[in-house]
Amino acid sequence: MNALSLMTSCLTLGSTDPHPNVTPSVLYGLGWLYLILFAMNSVWTWRSFHRGRHFRLPKFMGGMEMPNAVVWAMYSMALLLVSVTHLTCASVPEALRWFVMPDGAKAAIDFAVADARRYFAVTTFGFIGMLLLRNWLAKPSVGWVLLNLSLLFLCVSLTDWDFRQIVGKPDNVPIVAMLFIVGFFTWLFFYRANENDRRAALGKGPIEAENNEKVLTWPDLVYTEMICMIAVTALLILWGIALQAPLEEPASAVKTPNPSKAPWYFLGLQEMLVYYDPWLAGVVFPSVILGGMMAIPYIDFNKLGNGYYTFNERKFAITTFMFGFLPLWVGMIILGTFLRGPNWNVFGIYEFWDVHKLEALNNVNLSEYFWYGLGQPLPMAPAGSDFWTQAPYILLREFVGFVAIGVYLGVLPMVMAMTVFKKFFLRMGFLRFMVFSNLVLMMAALPLKMVLRWAVNLKYFVAIPEWFFNV
Amino acid sequence: MSEPKPSTADILAKIRAAKPSVGSDAPAPATETPTAEAAAPKVAPAAKPGSTGDILAAIRAQGAKSGAPAAPATEAPKTTAAPKPAAPKLGSTADILAAIRAAKGGAAAGPASDAPTAKAAPAAKSASVPASSGAKLSVEEMLKAVRGEKSAETTAIVSPTTPVKPALPPIPVKPPSAKDKKAGTDRRSFVAICFTPLFFAFALMAATSLNWLLALARFMFPNVLVEPPTKFKIGPASDYPLGGVSTKWLAARGVWIVHTDQYKGQNLIYALASVCTHLGCTPNWLEGEQKYKCPCHGSGFYINGVNFEGPAPRPLERVGIKLASDGQLEVDKSVKFQEEMGQWADSNSFVDGTLA
Repeated sequence: MNALSLMTSCLTLGSTDPHPNVTPSVLYGLGWLYLILFAMNSVWTWRSFHRGRHFRLPKFMGGMEMPNAVVWAMYSMALLLVSVTHLTCASVPEALRWFVMPDGAKAAIDFAVADARRYFAVTTFGFIGMLLLRNWLAKPSVGWVLLNLSLLFLCVSLTDWDFRQIVGKPDNVPIVAMLFIVGFFTWLFFYRANENDRRAALGKGPIEAENNEKVLTWPDLVYTEMICMIAVTALLILWGIALQAPLEEPASAVKTPNPSKAPWYFLGLQEMLVYYDPWLAGVVFPSVILGGMMAIPYIDFNKLGNGYYTFNERKFAITTFMFGFLPLWVGMIILGTFLRGPNWNVFGIYEFWDVHKLEALNNVNLSEYFWYGLGQPLPMAPAGSDFWTQAPYILLREFVGFVAIGVYLGVLPMVMAMTVFKKFFLRMGFLRFMVFSNLVLMMAALPLKMVLRWAVNLKYFVAIPEWFFNV
Repeated sequence: MSEPKPSTADILAKIRAAKPSVGSDAPAPATETPTAEAAAPKVAPAAKPGSTGDILAAIRAQGAKSGAPAAPATEAPKTTAAPKPAAPKLGSTADILAAIRAAKGGAAAGPASDAPTAKAAPAAKSASVPASSGAKLSVEEMLKAVRGEKSAETTAIVSPTTPVKPALPPIPVKPPSAKDKKAGTDRRSFVAICFTPLFFAFALMAATSLNWLLALARFMFPNVLVEPPTKFKIGPASDYPLGGVSTKWLAARGVWIVHTDQYKGQNLIYALASVCTHLGCTPNWLEGEQKYKCPCHGSGFYINGVNFEGPAPRPLERVGIKLASDGQLEVDKSVKFQEEMGQWADSNSFVDGTLA
């Protein structure tokens, strides 16, 4: 089947839907994707066969010993059949209706992600679940199953027009790749850390200490680097040829694309800008992130885990870092890339990007909550008064916010030192502990503000637009 | 010995205190070598028998006795011209080391002892400086020497033929330092420095950079601004009926013309700058929702320009507007009126809506 016949079949189908979910070309492409999946799983079947693991069939099926490879072989064969079906029946979408995402599942997934608070809950609980189930998740076969599931999810989701628009955008291709890469390296970390943790439980040293055979810079390292360099260059050239740069019309100061998105690696910052003022989310927090990363070696007093993978010996450090990286950074990039649509509203991955989607986002400042709660108007200087007359009024208006921030960054560390982080405080000393606790609190400030925004529509703790000072 | 176990520093301090003039003594340390035999008995029973000086004096004495090479001895007559006896100068480390070297053999002493005949003062320095640089090595030698003193058989250790003590290379002559040169003949004056190529190159670079900087400053004030004038006429007020937001001037001028009674109940026509007060994107006017909505972070503004949703901290800014003499409205983008500063009360920020 060639491209021309695909086009004609598309035309003869005569679909009136401007946004068709399945077209012959999509199905044809999916056929190739399933074929790749089949090839991957064939290799895995071969591996499984050589490892020779067995399992016992349930009683009603005979109860005999079967090699694990049988299951993988059956799965691979099923993939091959699906692939062949797609490649041969692409022009008859009706025949392939079993391989599209059911509408019920679409609705359920959209419900879970098309709302920032639910999305954040999903990612946070997913993160906690990952930590709790790390021993199970880090098994190679479980990792392989997860990879298969995510690829199958991608395959069946690609039959949705809206999903294709957002995932297939040339801008977003590297982000899809990044998701798999992040997943792989997270899995790899847990795999190796679990191995060392098991060894530590048996009283043995880390595996890195045993396999510490030295290699030479030249030629071992330099050759490896050169091969990587050539491979990456080739990949980039192929990519540049295959996917056109997503250029748009000439920029105009009075026309902003809708939605207007930052480069993908800054989408976490752009998400932060929804909740905090530009000077905080754009200047202070990025600086604190960079400075805080640099400060880690001076804050860290745990001498373990140096030069080898481990989780149990560095639980706090790894959990904190991973929370900042996975749900707060990568999670926000996913939110910004796949879920933020026109007018920066949140859309489901199968939802049409409707410019007129209405989301109630009325926000209220903390000072308004306070003064209106007391049944009083906001303190306001008489009209036309000068700066020195205005200043006390403004400070009085916003004093609750200042007190809240003072308590959060000044008093809370001391409470932490006396309670949950008592051991840390004793090990670190006053100054180091204050730096540490403030960094942790600033990191926690983002999810905190997000939750407050969603829960009580809180806009700013301190809102002084007169002085460009909002927190 | 007064202290039970004095450190090397203590010993040296004590020696220096006892002989404060050592450092300034001109005569070459090398000249001490030949006189060592005579000086040794003088020093040995001295007040501090345990001091390094004493030990070394003993070494010298033994070194000379144990058949040290003849070279130093034969050269002795030349160097006996030293104005002062050697023994009192035996305090500094340099002296000690020189003494050791001399005792070891002619390899070290040869060049140094030749020197005084030609030039007395510089030779003294040339001998003492390399000697002090070898101070760390000599501790071991000192210890061996002490042991050698204890047993006469092992005195051969200090002999130059012993394999554990390789012959030292000739002491290099210290290059004349700039500090020693007295002001005068070959010191470059400031004027001379100004004509060195390096200075010239840097001066040229500074001048060029300054020129670039000036050019950059000038660049900020162009002769011609290729942008529309800030004042422009937008037609009669009747073009803007009540309750409408005109996007007619958005693309070209970046303003919305708003005619509304939603702000404090007043019927006004005013021009809103199409710049979001959060980060400066251009919001879209959504007629159906009756709001301006920013595509960057989702800030929303009512028809009157007041912010109500998303992160924008303050209302959109008004620009100047007035009724021109020809009956048209004239917008002046060079002035801004901010609501939170109370500037929307300014009569230049609106015109009466009843004109429409």
